[in-house]
Amino acid sequence: MSDKDHGHHHHLRETESYYAARTKALESLFREKNLIGQDTVDRVINFFDTEMGPFNGAKVVARAWTDPAFKTRLLADCNAAIAELGIRDGIEGENLKAVESTASVHHIVTCTLCSCWPWPLLGLPPYWFKDPAFRARIVREPREVLKEFGVELTAGTKIEIWDSSAQIRFFVIPARPDGTEGWSEEKLAELISTEAMQGLDVVTVN
Amino acid sequence: MKLQQFLGGLENVGPVSTEKKVFVEEWEKQLFGVHMCMMGTGIWAWPHLRVKAEGMNPLDYFKYRYYIKWLGGMTAYLVERNYINEAELEELTEYYLDNPDAPLPEKGNPAVTDQVVDYMFTGDNPYRDVALNPEFKVGQLVRVLDPASAVHTRLIGYLRNKVGVVEEVYPKAILYTDSVPTDSISTPQPIYRVKFMTRDIWPERPDTDDALFSEVFETYLEAA
Repeated sequence: MSDKDHGHHHHLRETESYYAARTKALESLFREKNLIGQDTVDRVINFFDTEMGPFNGAKVVARAWTDPAFKTRLLADCNAAIAELGIRDGIEGENLKAVESTASVHHIVTCTLCSCWPWPLLGLPPYWFKDPAFRARIVREPREVLKEFGVELTAGTKIEIWDSSAQIRFFVIPARPDGTEGWSEEKLAELISTEAMQGLDVVTVN
Repeated sequence: MKLQQFLGGLENVGPVSTEKKVFVEEWEKQLFGVHMCMMGTGIWAWPHLRVKAEGMNPLDYFKYRYYIKWLGGMTAYLVERNYINEAELEELTEYYLDNPDAPLPEKGNPAVTDQVVDYMFTGDNPYRDVALNPEFKVGQLVRVLDPASAVHTRLIGYLRNKVGVVEEVYPKAILYTDSVPTDSISTPQPIYRVKFMTRDIWPERPDTDDALFSEVFETYLEAA
């Protein structure tokens, strides 16, 4: 390729390679200006792989399912209860609130204004939660949206929706499935998806 | 009115995404890392990003993927505040387009990393220890006000003019932000958990006992 073939005006501005180059340019400028460390990006990503992720939420739910006294404390003061399990709170979770789904009430969390999500328990929000179509529809037609997620609630189940607008971050304790009596917390935790902890999945035993 | 402030309840938007990934392209991770650096070192906070999102052309808001919008918002803010300039960003973008495997400069401030990690564990608690004289009490009916659209709001569009019942008065005052223009939530004030019945918001929907909860700043409420 000759020089004139990749002149400045030839690059398309709405391609993944353009976004990737612009992001790389941004970090590069931050490094040049001493606004960032060389390992900052890696440490941030690693933080959400190891410190704040859905593995925390699943551990909390498994404990709540097996220890009714813990569940009571969790519903009363979520931040204090997760600290009992050694889980640290922090950014986007300074004020957490747990709500419990049962056979008769199904809780769903959304953020129609942006993408508020309980980071200390679930890590970062997945794409479905940030999708404008999801946020538009979940509050008005939750059963139709649940169907698109492959979830059909038992007839007569009431839905309660939590739309985040201030600084409280909501977390759903899903209903414990039948057939799991006597299971260890570790085995129970493996059943619990991120989606179930925001009400877009129900926990089942295969 | 700004569509982004009235998203909930919008019809005819097609199927929802069920994508479970947090990042769908590698560059999104890098962008998110730079964003957390900006948060942790005080370059910006969520409300700055939200101002950008709410200021977008609504058609573009639907058109572009989440982190593509972040990239636009972050770079526009950084240029406006003179952290970077557009010419150097353009020049380097072209360079990395032509040389995608070129390394990043081996420079930077190593102290920033610990500062950012500390920030992620500490967070930024909005509670403020100021005297609280809440105007409304548990069990009271309240109506959501319908103020003019602002640069930035935490007032959920579909709740405007709707009546709900106060379920909880939070024990402390909340400061949303004092760093961006909002519709009067930039002073610490009580917030309330208000319960609305879905049937009262969308009466044309099949009647259910479904309910909807939201934490509402006092400034957005009046007695009903």
